[in-house]
Amino acid sequence: MKQIALYGKGGIGKSTTSANLSAALSCAGYDILQIGCDPKRDSTRMLMQGRLIPTVMDLVRVRGTEKVTPSEVVYTGFNGIRCVEAGGPEPGVGCAGRGIIATFQLLEKFGTLTGDVIVYDVLGDVVCGGFAMPMREGYAQEVYLITSGELMSLYAANNICKAILRLSARPKSRCRLAGVICNAKNQPREEELVAEFARRVNSNLTQFIPRDRSVQLAELNRRTVIEHEPESAQAQVYRDLATRVMKNTHFTIPTPLEIEDLEALAIEFM
Amino acid sequence: MLSNSCRSAGCTLTGALTVTTHVSDAITVVHGPGGCTHHNFSLLHATSLDNDLITLPPLISTGLSETDVIFGGEGVLDRALDTVIERKPGAVFVLSTCIVDTIGDDVGMVCRAKTGTPVLVIPTAGFLGGSFQTGVNNALIALAGMAEPIRGNGRVNIIGEKNLEYEVDENFTEVSRLLSLLGLSVNIRFVHDLTSHQIATLGAARLNILRDPSLIPVGEYLKDQFKTPYIPAFPVGISGTIPFLESVADACGIDPRQTIADECVLISETLDDFADIAGAGISSSSFPLDPEGRHVVQDVARVLRLEIAPSGCPVPVPFTAPIGIAGVRRMLHRWRRALHA
Repeated sequence: MKQIALYGKGGIGKSTTSANLSAALSCAGYDILQIGCDPKRDSTRMLMQGRLIPTVMDLVRVRGTEKVTPSEVVYTGFNGIRCVEAGGPEPGVGCAGRGIIATFQLLEKFGTLTGDVIVYDVLGDVVCGGFAMPMREGYAQEVYLITSGELMSLYAANNICKAILRLSARPKSRCRLAGVICNAKNQPREEELVAEFARRVNSNLTQFIPRDRSVQLAELNRRTVIEHEPESAQAQVYRDLATRVMKNTHFTIPTPLEIEDLEALAIEFM
Repeated sequence: MLSNSCRSAGCTLTGALTVTTHVSDAITVVHGPGGCTHHNFSLLHATSLDNDLITLPPLISTGLSETDVIFGGEGVLDRALDTVIERKPGAVFVLSTCIVDTIGDDVGMVCRAKTGTPVLVIPTAGFLGGSFQTGVNNALIALAGMAEPIRGNGRVNIIGEKNLEYEVDENFTEVSRLLSLLGLSVNIRFVHDLTSHQIATLGAARLNILRDPSLIPVGEYLKDQFKTPYIPAFPVGISGTIPFLESVADACGIDPRQTIADECVLISETLDDFADIAGAGISSSSFPLDPEGRHVVQDVARVLRLEIAPSGCPVPVPFTAPIGIAGVRRMLHRWRRALHA
């Protein structure tokens, strides 16, 4: 079983990329589980034809941990992909990080964490230990960073490198940086910049995803590109990503950059 | 010395509870997991038993669960407060714990919404770096908020007695004896076995006497609020009493000369009573942990010409330094028993 986690700045396209990756992997014949680990709970929406599925934390809040059953937290979406949303507290109260930990414990107890590939779609900022949960021992060993060529997006990706570096130093930890995915914003020399960033943090560019209107059109139709326009060039990009993810064996301990170096890098490619 | 190895070291929450549980008509709500309350309940109950006092501390836990931590504990606290207020206590004290201050429950907001019964918040999360004493001080300052504007009554408050201390009542008796020698009487013991209504008169006293200098922040606060001057500590050992009488008299504008002369006679008579042990050799494997206590033992030994040596007879020393000549007398009685055993 392969377990991969996608991290990146908020709004960078983690959920879109995760859903399209899951769809592409599923179409290639793999049994996929996608887990949304963001209290915003919209990770699996495109796989569920636009439906916001009940979250694990919603069920726990209403009934308590004891009365939730495995069949209630897993929803089957496009092409048999199993979808789970962790959910969390209302914005501004409680502890979302603990919510992620509690969700993982429940999924472990239910034996939900099975399949050929588990895709963890995680909140952009590893703000506390709870959001590093998918990187911990026994969960995702391959972390993909999603970024555009914008400085703030690279900055967030660089921060996640710090988290991977810290966690990989723990005994028995097998969490590694597996690659950088560029979700382009149509900036000049964007692919070059992100590829160079990937190299500097001791990784490589796994996939360049061009900005394409087919993504917005698919979302308006509440579908992934894979489902909505399977013949499009964009769908092929996601299938390429899926192939590379499955073939990837280059897992590294990242070397995060200092902010000054990151800025200098961005200026270099301006 | 290991940190947290003595009775008055430890968690901020425990410190605050030694104060709030002594307001007999109030209920203390500990907002946190059940264990924080259970552990402290046991400690307070067991220590009271040790001090020959059978009491069940009036404590309630909000019993925070993991689900409450994830979704926020304000609702749980709100419901717990409603239940507690229904019992019509004189006051409700709400103490926070590490986890609720970590997740950021707005405890003050929940408490402010309650009317009819005073609901006071005391911040007590231990992980913020405070000690047991921080909890005591935070609790005393919060409870001082229940004092009402009131005319002076010329009496004296006793501030911050160590309620876990074995000799808490004996020490109080000694201090009130000394006050009465100067014609002064005690207003309230803030806080030892009193009701929430009695706290109203806190500001009426002409002088506050702090149990020890760690309460100076409380003394300063009360001075600020009520213009009441304070004496920073109870009189310690044989040399503490006279300066204590002098400073109390000075603060109250009383002539202490006769009282001091009488007390000097009492001190000297008391020490004469122990002439039978003079010259003996003593040792202690458990000398008081604080330097103050060690000085008292050395003072007494010097006056009675006792030799402190490892080969001497082991004598018990109180955990905290003896207060006044009465405290010294009790210590010497124990020494005599040990020497004659």
